[in-house]
Amino acid sequence: MSAAVQDLRMTAVRVREETEESAAAPRREDELLAKRALAGERAAWDALIARHDRRVMVSLLAKGVRADRARELVQETWARLIQQQQRGLLTELRLPNLALTQAAFLAADDARRTRRESLSGSVEELAERQHPVDPAASAEKRLLSEEQLSRAHEALAQMSPSARNVFLLACDGQELPHAEVAVRVGLSTQRVRQILCEVRKRLRAALEEETHA
Amino acid sequence: MLKAHLTRDDAEQYILGALAPEKAAALEAHTVECEPCARLLQEEALLEEQAHEVAATFAPREHRVLRPAAWGGRRVAAGAMSALLAAAASLALVVHRGGTPPPTSLPPSAHASAGPVVEFDEGAEVPQVVMVACPDLATEAECTQSAVARGLLVLSPGGVAEVPRYEGHSGFPAGALPSGPASL
Ligand SMILES: [Zn+2]
Repeated sequence: MSAAVQDLRMTAVRVREETEESAAAPRREDELLAKRALAGERAAWDALIARHDRRVMVSLLAKGVRADRARELVQETWARLIQQQQRGLLTELRLPNLALTQAAFLAADDARRTRRESLSGSVEELAERQHPVDPAASAEKRLLSEEQLSRAHEALAQMSPSARNVFLLACDGQELPHAEVAVRVGLSTQRVRQILCEVRKRLRAALEEETHA
Repeated sequence: MLKAHLTRDDAEQYILGALAPEKAAALEAHTVECEPCARLLQEEALLEEQAHEVAATFAPREHRVLRPAAWGGRRVAAGAMSALLAAAASLALVVHRGGTPPPTSLPPSAHASAGPVVEFDEGAEVPQVVMVACPDLATEAECTQSAVARGLLVLSPGGVAEVPRYEGHSGFPAGALPSGPASL
């Protein structure tokens, strides 16, 4: 085997190892952060909040919570989680799921209270959209039917591998910042967001198909 | 109302976290006063939540993985493997038994072995393929070059003394390979 090929092979193997490490690194980092947060370290909480805040906000907006109320509920969500940690009630910290569940609970509670108040006439009648959420809804609730999911998966399978890769990295639930996704795939942050917009467009079309059928 | 209505693009940029904080705050404030824009924002937020559900439930359904049987003992953690698969590009890996010569010239020794020629075919009609690559001793150089040229990941057998064999896995066309590991 020529030296050049030997070098190539070494390169290929090294690339593989780096990929494995870089895939594992954010997870280890997250686990470490969660551990420090569970120990009550404020800086660790701040880092976790910075990473997951947007997703929690979006989850509330998706339920139709008004933006100003959603902001308050997001803050309340983090305050409650920190409070639970301080009381020693948290044994593990799985984010963003724990925060999403807490936020959904608060939104449901809010909705119940709003409904009660409006029934008793103590506040003026609110538009339907301002009733945040059905009390039965939870963060675990599925948003999509099996049929919609399979359409969306089909659309995803037809995208270019690099677009799919960007999408999966950005939306795998780890809330990897787009700048980090960009570093991993060797693109600019702006390009990553462009790709995400393109993927969203295709997903929107795939999900809407059913409605028109 | 102070600010202009949201475009879908504004809402999307907000959802993706691409707006500067002041701009994001102004957008939120506008939706509090403007019902149509609030609905638009809700739609985009819902799509984002749905996208997460899609991503969480997506698994590549068809893999083509060719590997020398000699790698069987090698352990790759499931998480690491799925990351690898996600990172790998889509391609078809076609193995011909002593068939078509590869596009670039091989060292003479590789041809002389009459072993399989490994070549890549990026045909669009093949199902989604995620590939962790290929080599045996005879074709390792060619395979590695081809793969690296396409930015793919190559797994090389650790020990050169082992007799490499190929085995086909899910998704490989029936008849393209002998069933089960075959000695070359
Ligand atoms: Zn408006």
